[in-house]
Amino acid sequence: MTQLIANGLIAGSLAALIAGGLALVYGVLGVFNLALGQMVLIGGYSTWWFHQVAGWALFPSIVMGISIGALLSWFTFEVFIRPFYKLHRFLPLVTTIALSLILDGMILLLFEQRPRSILSGAKETMHIAGAYVSKEQIIMIVLTMGILFIFAYVLHSTSFGRKIQAVVQHDHAAMSLGIRAPALHRFVFILSGVLASCGGIYMGIDTNLSPTIAFSITIKAYAAIIAGGKGNFWGAVFCAYLIAFSEQFVVGIHWFGAFYVPPGYQNTVALAFIIILLLVKPSGLFSSASRSA
Amino acid sequence: MGFYLLHIISLIAMNLFTVMSYNLVFGKGKILHFGQLAFSIIGIYAFCVPLVRYQWPLWSALLLGCLGVLLVAAFFTWLSLHLEADGFGVMSIAVHLMFLSVVLNWQGVTRGALGIPGIPRLPYMASLESFTLVVVLFSALWMIFLWYVGKGAFGRMLSALSEGQWPAASLGISRSMVHFVAFTISGFGALLSNLTWHSYLRLLSPSDLQFPAMIFYVMIVVAGGAGSFRGCFIATVILVTLKEGLRFLNLAPNLVGPLQLILFGVILFTAVWVRRETVFPKQRVV
Repeated sequence: MTQLIANGLIAGSLAALIAGGLALVYGVLGVFNLALGQMVLIGGYSTWWFHQVAGWALFPSIVMGISIGALLSWFTFEVFIRPFYKLHRFLPLVTTIALSLILDGMILLLFEQRPRSILSGAKETMHIAGAYVSKEQIIMIVLTMGILFIFAYVLHSTSFGRKIQAVVQHDHAAMSLGIRAPALHRFVFILSGVLASCGGIYMGIDTNLSPTIAFSITIKAYAAIIAGGKGNFWGAVFCAYLIAFSEQFVVGIHWFGAFYVPPGYQNTVALAFIIILLLVKPSGLFSSASRSA
Repeated sequence: MGFYLLHIISLIAMNLFTVMSYNLVFGKGKILHFGQLAFSIIGIYAFCVPLVRYQWPLWSALLLGCLGVLLVAAFFTWLSLHLEADGFGVMSIAVHLMFLSVVLNWQGVTRGALGIPGIPRLPYMASLESFTLVVVLFSALWMIFLWYVGKGAFGRMLSALSEGQWPAASLGISRSMVHFVAFTISGFGALLSNLTWHSYLRLLSPSDLQFPAMIFYVMIVVAGGAGSFRGCFIATVILVTLKEGLRFLNLAPNLVGPLQLILFGVILFTAVWVRRETVFPKQRVV
């Protein structure tokens, strides 16, 4: 049981990191970025390349991975989002699908299909309260918590956070108060790209990077956002952890002492869980319902 | 060369079933639906598993496939009514991935990634020539049906809903009924494509049901002009021929797949760029 909780915390930290940034993007811009999973992988693969192929030390490789992720998200915003989202907020959904194909092809050409791990060799594990966790996993859980606390502080206790909240509520009204909403749009999008890259690096250090997992990452992150109430940062973070725990607990327990769900169904369980949750509360856990005809 | 031409014509005809019916939902109805392959998965597995693995009669297996499509259509209708449009777009992909994951993991029934071999050719479709003839004939009939549906009262209801659910409701249009019919037609289009395609190959492979196949349909509809019957037909002919033509480039096998992804991504982006004003037109104001 403790091991399942530890696994849920590890997987949830990765998902919360990605979903939190995306929830801000949705709140500020009102758009979905379906190339997110590929952006996660680019961050991870870049770090892998600098560390394993170019022979750089781990820390500068991580800095390069994050920088490439930031550059990619800036490019994505300028080419695939900005020219479209004012015309119709659904257009970026289709343009980012196009970007996801392009990035998928590039990842396959540059890094090939085989799994890549940023740290080679076996990791040292520690036995804490009945659970086996590696040093890297503990660092990642603590780092994610740290990043989320910084987010909480910036969003709720600084003038910059209040500007973001103003743009989330109404960007034209915010602009009439002197807030540079377009610059904030760009900033928040790049920030979400940086968090996605961190997620990719986290994944590459903890397990493996594989080109086939991109869409699954994207869909799970958005499932967390929809279930949390779209645009609600804390709702998305909560649901990211909820999905991770549900994945671990449903496949990790012998139900009624005999029956168990095979690990291959982990993704199915998470998505089915969100659909059931939406059946109960269609507008998401932390959002009020909107009227429809 | 003659055989290759028949192969290309068959491929175009088989793709037209799905593309033209998907155009009704995504193009004309502006329903942000990216889960078309969920219909394909449920429909074709509900047909092939009983037929090949449990030796059911063809018509009983077909009936089960149709029932599967109806259930998925009802499920998508329910989701589309409860979620906002973009949320539904994402969750429709989630449903597709969920079904795919079940198919890949339920190895005792579906044989997982190995797929199901030995799918018989459908009646009157034994040779390539007869296959092409029958599939072109059925494809033409399906398009005539869709043309009448699109131009008739149902098409007008779908268009009205795409412009605004409240004005459409005030005209007495039932959103749930229109969505269910649209998804059902779309689902049967997907089933027809898959019935013919997997019977053509004599193999049901889950690798044909991955998300990039869905993007191919989105690309055709956007490139042809969302909602345009003639545009989608022409785009299907050109893009299916282009996709097949890539095989003739003298490239290493490991380069063909990634280059195809990049090429189709660029085509989709260019199509959206060119049609950015009309893919999701702005709501009319008085």
